[in-house]
Amino acid sequence: MTAWRHFFAILPECLLILLRAAVTTIEITLGGLLVALVLGLAIALLRRSSSRGVAVIAAAYVEVFRCVPVLTQLFVIYFGLGQIGFRISPLPAAIVGFGLNGAAYLAEIYRSGIESVPRGQAEAGSAIGMTKRQAMIWVILPQAIRISLPPIGNYGVGLLKDSSIAVAIAAPEITFAATNLINQTYLSTQIYLLMALLYIAMSLPLSHLVRRLERRSSRGVRA
Amino acid sequence: MPTTLPQYVATWLPEMIAAAGNTLRMAVFAFVFAICLGLVLALARLSGRRILAGAALTYVEVIRGAPALALLFLIYFGLPSLGIVLPAFLAAVIGLGMNGGAYVSEIYRAGISAVDRGQREAAQTIGMTSGQTMRYIILPQAARIVLPPIGNYAIGLLKDTSVASLIGASELTLRARDLSSEYFMPMQIYLLSGAIYFVMAAPLSAGVRYLERRLRRGR
Repeated sequence: MTAWRHFFAILPECLLILLRAAVTTIEITLGGLLVALVLGLAIALLRRSSSRGVAVIAAAYVEVFRCVPVLTQLFVIYFGLGQIGFRISPLPAAIVGFGLNGAAYLAEIYRSGIESVPRGQAEAGSAIGMTKRQAMIWVILPQAIRISLPPIGNYGVGLLKDSSIAVAIAAPEITFAATNLINQTYLSTQIYLLMALLYIAMSLPLSHLVRRLERRSSRGVRA
Repeated sequence: MPTTLPQYVATWLPEMIAAAGNTLRMAVFAFVFAICLGLVLALARLSGRRILAGAALTYVEVIRGAPALALLFLIYFGLPSLGIVLPAFLAAVIGLGMNGGAYVSEIYRAGISAVDRGQREAAQTIGMTSGQTMRYIILPQAARIVLPPIGNYAIGLLKDTSVASLIGASELTLRARDLSSEYFMPMQIYLLSGAIYFVMAAPLSAGVRYLERRLRRGR
């Protein structure tokens, strides 16, 4: 019990350190999400390319990145690129790693979003004289992205938690800070519990928000 | 001492394939744990008993709110302070299984609620108890619906076992880390380990896509 008493004595200090590290967790999450949103859309569109070669490469990208652990991808980017002369510091390496990985998932989300827009929409677009490209940009994508929002939100919540893996390349996020605290205090149970609570405090409100978004958008489609 | 890349690969590959066997074993054990725990949680949530349902819901929300890594760290580094010391491999299986149980229970729940209401009513009309209805009418149909998402979960789990390397459980990623600190060739070694994961996961992924197509046609 003395361990718990000691823990409560240093709790404010620990919390402050973890909260400061939470900024990095959020940076990795938002940075990774941004890369994934843009690259994922590009890949989803390239998969629909009329050039077979381009479409196959985009599909291969999705398959490869979805079948390899994100930890392996982080190691290749951080340790592998470092070995051949491209040293990247942990934070950008994590953002690039999660971004490249997430792009594969988001490409699939966009794809099913695009496919669930009724065909008549594209035909109506070309009926009023839009080119294929215009119809995609002005008619299909706005609807597809709206459909994709809830799964994108779910992906974002998942990414917030997965960013803990960046501890393996020493990115100074929550898990890394917690591990450092434990090395100084030996209070592993207490500090990892505190860390888990912090993640829950961040992810639960977000996932409730996504659930509300899901209910709203499913209502909109039915109406 | 090997000198060319193919020779290096020939040195690494047997060790990495042996470690990949551990990865598969870890994934299979955690998978079995997760699908059993998930079924218990899903039935508890649908049981209609408030306390049971509330406990299951809390479990699912808490576990899904925290990273799997946090659970692994708590089990492996935290439990020893309570006098419970588990080997890393077992800690990883338990942690990944406990984590997966929460996700799988949500998959089951969605599957069970996707079975048409009329099925339940029809079963009760012919005099089945609610237990019999669940066992003979709902679950067999729900099982079909949940197969593709369970498959996707299995693929995710296979990759997530890599996280167990962070508590020092002996599997593919840990072996790759050891080899890369021995040979100083992280790029080649991690790419090779990535290729091995791909070889294990790609057939699963193709299988899930096949299932999805077949089930869509069945509707």
